[in-house]
Amino acid sequence: MTLAPIDYAILALYFLFVLGIGWRLRARSSSSSDFLTGGHSLPVWITSLAFLAANLGAQEVIGMAASGAKYGIMTSHFYWIGAVPAMLFIGVFMMPFYYGSRARSVPEYLRLRFDEKTRGLNALTFAVMTIFSSGISMYALGILFEAVLGWSFTASVLLSATIVLIYTYLGGLTSAIYNEVLQFFLIVLGFAPLAAMAVYKAGGWGGLQQRLPPVMTHSWKYLGDAHQNPMGVEIFGLVAGLGFVLSFGYWCTDFLVVQRAMAANSMAAARRTPVMAAFPKMIMPFIVIVPGLAAVALANMSTGYSIPTKGDGLDYDKVLTSLMAQFYPSGMLGVGLTALMASFMSGMAGNVTAFNTVFTYDIYQSYIRKNAPDSHYLQVGRLTTFAGIALSIGAAYLAQSFNNIMDLLQLVFSFVNAPLFATFLLGMFWKRTTGHGAFAGLLSGTTTAAITHGLTIAEGKGGWIAPAFSFPSTMAQNFRIAICAWSACFLVTVVVSLATKAHPEESLHGLVYSLTKKISEEGVPFWKRPLPLAGIVIVLLVMLNVVFR
Amino acid sequence: MLDLRIPSGYFFAITGIVLMGLGILFPDARAPLTPLNVNLYAGGVMLLFGAILLLLARRKA
Repeated sequence: MTLAPIDYAILALYFLFVLGIGWRLRARSSSSSDFLTGGHSLPVWITSLAFLAANLGAQEVIGMAASGAKYGIMTSHFYWIGAVPAMLFIGVFMMPFYYGSRARSVPEYLRLRFDEKTRGLNALTFAVMTIFSSGISMYALGILFEAVLGWSFTASVLLSATIVLIYTYLGGLTSAIYNEVLQFFLIVLGFAPLAAMAVYKAGGWGGLQQRLPPVMTHSWKYLGDAHQNPMGVEIFGLVAGLGFVLSFGYWCTDFLVVQRAMAANSMAAARRTPVMAAFPKMIMPFIVIVPGLAAVALANMSTGYSIPTKGDGLDYDKVLTSLMAQFYPSGMLGVGLTALMASFMSGMAGNVTAFNTVFTYDIYQSYIRKNAPDSHYLQVGRLTTFAGIALSIGAAYLAQSFNNIMDLLQLVFSFVNAPLFATFLLGMFWKRTTGHGAFAGLLSGTTTAAITHGLTIAEGKGGWIAPAFSFPSTMAQNFRIAICAWSACFLVTVVVSLATKAHPEESLHGLVYSLTKKISEEGVPFWKRPLPLAGIVIVLLVMLNVVFR
Repeated sequence: MLDLRIPSGYFFAITGIVLMGLGILFPDARAPLTPLNVNLYAGGVMLLFGAILLLLARRKA
């Protein structure tokens, strides 16, 4: 694919606006709270779009099109069973405690609710994971641009990192969030025409159904037996593993997304943030997944298009860019690539700002230097931006040189993340849960995850203790590992909590459901209340699942 | 504080105008798999979107 000067001009125009937004918001960093938490001042439409965009990294966009081509419409489970229900849950049930506790971060909530060691464990693992996921996504973009456009890996990594650095350094979290919203608009306007044209060319949904094997156009029909569908998963693993443990674990506890909602200007806005975000989230599969299906259908027609290859196999990661080259002339092609760059930058800025806050408040202020004046923490926050980006770049090069290390790290992260939601669920809804219980639960959940991985084998992965069970795919294996880790964490937390001294009730007000005053919604119209809104989302969600069953 | 609709509105309006300009000046610039003048139509949508954002921002101010 070759770009014309006009495509570069559009990319440059976008960079100009992104930096301009950072410059205009530079006054928004006069205190550490402005810089690191957005000063609780943003309107709900901005926080909800940022809530979506922070997660919509390049890996997500490229990966979803790739999965669409590989697995078909089943990929939409990541949205319709995975993300959306969890987003409704955090908005309706959990946000009152995050926002109401006045914690500045998720680890800080854990300290208020449990104790210092639980916070420390969460803060440290989160900080390390954020850096690596930022680095891995940088690496993904670098190799893609190298392969498709012939840009040097170093050039695309350094260019995008520098721009993210400048606007985050200038305006802090507010600037990152503002740019995420612009990025979200660009992602939608840049990719939606591609989805529409590719599907139209393939004969619409009817044409896709005709040209693709039925297993690719049904999301539920082939889930009864793991051997009938290309994902190799069955209904229980999918619903419990992905829909419950993994999705709730990510959307309800990951500070990267929770931070966006916590920046909202009121409790009501914070609660509506994830619920409002669920509306566009439901539609995203049509923009990011369906082009993958259309690509396979087009490759089956005599259009001259074929799925890109690498060596002997198909290279699904290039599906999206190869479609762009087929449907976008110079000009629109520039917009499409700018959208790809934007998705990457929003993912990276999300990681960097979350890392900043957790490092400054939960690591530096808690363990390195307490009781310094606020200006000191503002300075630390700003310097952490540099450090975070430098470390991410380091991680990107590490990924480039040692692919296996990255696979291993991602595996370890999944062990750490799997049990998290059990801890939060018990912490928020059972006042008897203690700090010792939470800590012991998290450790045993992670240990259980590792042991389950050691005892099961799928596609040659795992089974390092003894391959007692086998799964048809690593995805099925991951879902089962998550279920085991969650259950272990839940059980151990309950048992250890009952065996240890309860926290005094007066220390738990605003942190636990039964000890928090119910929020009065009298006189608030229904379209501003999280519960009725969530009801509308659920109705639409059921309809989508029925239509594409 | 900065109203985000203003810079976003300008960005999409400018990009839309550039694309529409390309579509009008080079109506034959087509991508391999579509007979449509993609730049013209996509540019129109972006210009419209940008204009709506700017209008909303103005009405509030």
